[in-house]
Amino acid sequence: MSEIVAIPRSTADVVDAVRAAEADGAALRIVAGGSWLDAARPIDGGDRPVRRLDVRAVTGIVEYVPGDLTLTARAGTTLAEIEEATRPHGLWLPLDPYAAPGATLGATLATASWGTLAASNGLPRDLTIGVEFVDGRGMVVRGGGRVVKNVAGFDLVRLTIGAWGTLGVITEASVRLRARPTSECSLALDLPPRPEALAPFLRALRTAPLTPLAMELVDAPLARATGVGDADAIVVRLAGNAAALAAQRRVLAALGAVREVGNACWRALATALPADAWTVRLSQRPARLAALWHETTARALDLDGAWRQGSIERGVVRLVVPAREGAALALRLATLADRWQVIGERLPLEAWRALPVPASDRLSATIRRAFDPLQLLNPGVLGHPVAASAPAHPWSLHT
Amino acid sequence: MNRDALARSLSAIVGERQVLHRPSELLVYASDGLPGYRREPALAVFPRTREELVAVVRLLARERVPFVPRGAGTGLSGGALADGSVLLGLNRLTRVLSVDAENRLAVVEPGVVNVHLTRAVAPHGLHYAPDPSSQAACTIGGNVAENAGGPHCLKYGVTLNHVVALTVILPDGDIVSLGNADGEDEGYDLLGTFVGSEGCFGVALDVTVRLSPNPQAVRTLLADFTSLDAAARATSSIIAAGIVPAALEMMDQATILAVEASIYAAGYPVDAAAVLLLELDGLADGIDEDADRLRTICLGSGARSVRVARDEGERTRLWQGRKKAFGAMGRVSSHLVVQDAVIPRTRLPDVLRAIALIGEREGLTVCNVFHAGDGNLHPNIPYNANDPEESARVHRAMTAIMRTCVEAGGSVTGEHGIGIDKLDYMPLIFSEASLDAMCRLRDAFDPARRANPGKVVPIRSCREWMQAPVLR
Ligand SMILES: Cc1cc2nc3c(=O)[nH]c(=O)nc-3n(C[C@H](O)[C@H](O)[C@@H](O)COP(=O)(O)OP(=O)(O)OC[C@H]3O[C@@H](n4cnc5c(N)ncnc54)[C@H](O)[C@@H]3O)c2cc1C
Ligand SMILES: Cc1cc2nc3c(=O)[nH]c(=O)nc-3n(C[C@H](O)[C@H](O)[C@H](O)COP(=O)(O)OP(=O)(O)OC[C@H]3O[C@@H](n4cnc5c(N)ncnc54)[C@H](O)[C@@H]3O)c2cc1C
Repeated sequence: MSEIVAIPRSTADVVDAVRAAEADGAALRIVAGGSWLDAARPIDGGDRPVRRLDVRAVTGIVEYVPGDLTLTARAGTTLAEIEEATRPHGLWLPLDPYAAPGATLGATLATASWGTLAASNGLPRDLTIGVEFVDGRGMVVRGGGRVVKNVAGFDLVRLTIGAWGTLGVITEASVRLRARPTSECSLALDLPPRPEALAPFLRALRTAPLTPLAMELVDAPLARATGVGDADAIVVRLAGNAAALAAQRRVLAALGAVREVGNACWRALATALPADAWTVRLSQRPARLAALWHETTARALDLDGAWRQGSIERGVVRLVVPAREGAALALRLATLADRWQVIGERLPLEAWRALPVPASDRLSATIRRAFDPLQLLNPGVLGHPVAASAPAHPWSLHT
Repeated sequence: MNRDALARSLSAIVGERQVLHRPSELLVYASDGLPGYRREPALAVFPRTREELVAVVRLLARERVPFVPRGAGTGLSGGALADGSVLLGLNRLTRVLSVDAENRLAVVEPGVVNVHLTRAVAPHGLHYAPDPSSQAACTIGGNVAENAGGPHCLKYGVTLNHVVALTVILPDGDIVSLGNADGEDEGYDLLGTFVGSEGCFGVALDVTVRLSPNPQAVRTLLADFTSLDAAARATSSIIAAGIVPAALEMMDQATILAVEASIYAAGYPVDAAAVLLLELDGLADGIDEDADRLRTICLGSGARSVRVARDEGERTRLWQGRKKAFGAMGRVSSHLVVQDAVIPRTRLPDVLRAIALIGEREGLTVCNVFHAGDGNLHPNIPYNANDPEESARVHRAMTAIMRTCVEAGGSVTGEHGIGIDKLDYMPLIFSEASLDAMCRLRDAFDPARRANPGKVVPIRSCREWMQAPVLR
């Protein structure tokens, strides 16, 4: 595999790189901050050489109008740079995926990564108002715009978010910002001691008069790692004026023993993930979170060093397993996938076989062909679409 | 297949009474909420069940007949007009199929009227947050197709943010599920892509929506300004202060006068240059502090007074005036263009001034009633469409207004869609390559190009849609 690296500095350079790859019969591996390249299925260019397309230098904030709560930045701009630019105006981009300091905006959108703030502020698709991307034919396409509301034309923004670069290389994005809360507090609650009490407890939390920024279920190992205690617990992040905060504390105190844990735990949660761990997300309707929690207790917690985090509002459990337990995780995945929606994040090779191939349906395959007919961009990351899509080229179908 | 034969085949599926083909019967369906356009459908068919709907779409696919889905026809961009093709009426599919109160989800048929859904889930202390001003008439299917907004979308988000799954019948008769109500979805966001596709990607058979818990408390405020500028400034200051009102609506004097002269009179001050209708909702504790802050900001920006609705009755009246403002303007003249542009919030004062100048130049009254918190303008012009000279002035004014909004960094529609009305404006904001990409996307859903032909994308590569076979 040749290691030619293209380092574009602009959208036009990205176009050149895509055209060059096409001309040379090469595929492209899009690389940004490089912090999560081994997430998703492995790149598989078939017989073609795979070139690195390093978009980190396509960087910089293009437009930022604090009064409009909007920001437009090139894809290689890091989340940290956006944080730095917006903080002085009391604003933030409330996207807080697990991330290394070099994580970029473009990659966060391409992978649709989200963190605990999604409970109150929504997913990347809810926060993105416009994108520019270069598709697999080297066309520069823009969807959306720079204003918070816009329904002009078909939605190319949603299409590229979470497409893992397989429809286009994101070169620029516009996002909506929000006012950063001026006062916040973080509280932890112990779970009820009896396991059967978890479901009613979570139901009570979800229906209580609370407007949390985030509300997460952390298991004992994660609680220890993030300094919120020694046992499974719920961590709640509250914001609002003094009266609203006080009222919510009272509501929580009526549900269980409450302790102040300090806002630093959120940063700790967002950086707790070890670089070499395997991770999957399991989900169902939020009301089934307790059952899902119990099931992961039974099926995965005996794996040495495993830990979990549950997003209460979204009904998602993230399961993290140390690298040495990869084979054991792979064995259990099929059973879990029978009962729950399972999204692989980083998994050992053999584990992917237990999971369905995303974007393999007829519509998705057709869309992929329309935007990247040669499967030039990140081939393999979402798996290869199955049969329905007649190969545009002899090498585009692998079984 | 000719028209009569098709009418017979359709009747065999849905019954004769659900198929309209006489010109007099079809008259009603020749226009939608935007009366400036008239397009005669060849036929109209109204399935009553999902099975009938599926059978109808499959018949149309077999016979290669173009069709246009239609909900309540309240669309304001001419999107539901069928020109010589089949109008597929969905307003008889009105069942709420299931409510999962614990997970705050409901599955509904496409013809469910927006406000009926809220009524149906009220016993659970829930509501459906997106609330277009047309909520008493428009359908959830139409909302999905337009990605509709509404006053409360400032805080709660637009339709897309409240739809978690869809069952769609593609124009070729295939049924697909988009999104996932039972956990996270992976792969391309086909759900997000379908929402807002204006009936061009297929027909929503059922919609799984997210419901919202009713807030503990609500405060509705009316702030009264002697200049548009001051009201616009107050808007920016509120957003900048980090308060997210549930709604932040502006009405100018022309609108206030129209409302106050109608049966929807809400008690707005008729000598005000503009009013802001503000709503806070959420926890009972702390809401009055936030209301005080809003009041202080408005007064600091030059409001003459700020009034808080004392009771539910007053609240309803204040909202009724806003939601029926279009209707009230409609009384002033025989016709009304309702426009829908978006600008960056900080540009409100200068864009509103520019719009006023355009109105003066063309000798027209522009009424502004809009979602100020989102920068989503609705410049409306009452006029007489039968007067060609006046119509020409209206057209000139609207084009100038759209250009102004685009030059300010905005968009040509925030919630009403492109339909046929705004086709000409699309090249103002999208390059040929981007429009081409939209065509390719459309092609994936509808390669035979039969769903809502001629709408949304105006360019050459999409022209085949405009030349879709016409049924006579
Ligand atoms: C240790 C670790 C664990 C993580 N775990 C999770 C997790 O569990 N869940 C979660 O949601 N997020 C997780 N992330 C999220 C990660 O932070 C985000 O995906 C993202 O911000 C990575 O940024 P990056 O610039 O380093 O991307 P990279 O690692 O360079 O790229 C990530 C992926 O995005 C593609 N890509 C990058 N830039 C573009 C572009 N401009 N256009 C199209 N495609 C592009 C790449 O090809 C690659 O497939 C984790 C990150 C780290 C460091
Ligand atoms: C007085 C008034 C106030 C309004 N206020 C607002 C507002 O505040 N916010 C806002 O966003 N809009 C507003 N509108 C516009 C309009 O009500 C919305 O666009 C609404 O979503 C249209 O719904 P409908 O059922 O009437 O759809 P229709 O007008 O019948 O159709 C609109 C489009 O949707 C397609 N369609 C309909 N049903 C389906 C389906 N099941 N599957 C696929 N495609 C379908 C049609 O083909 C057409 O392209 C207002 C309109 C009026 C008249």
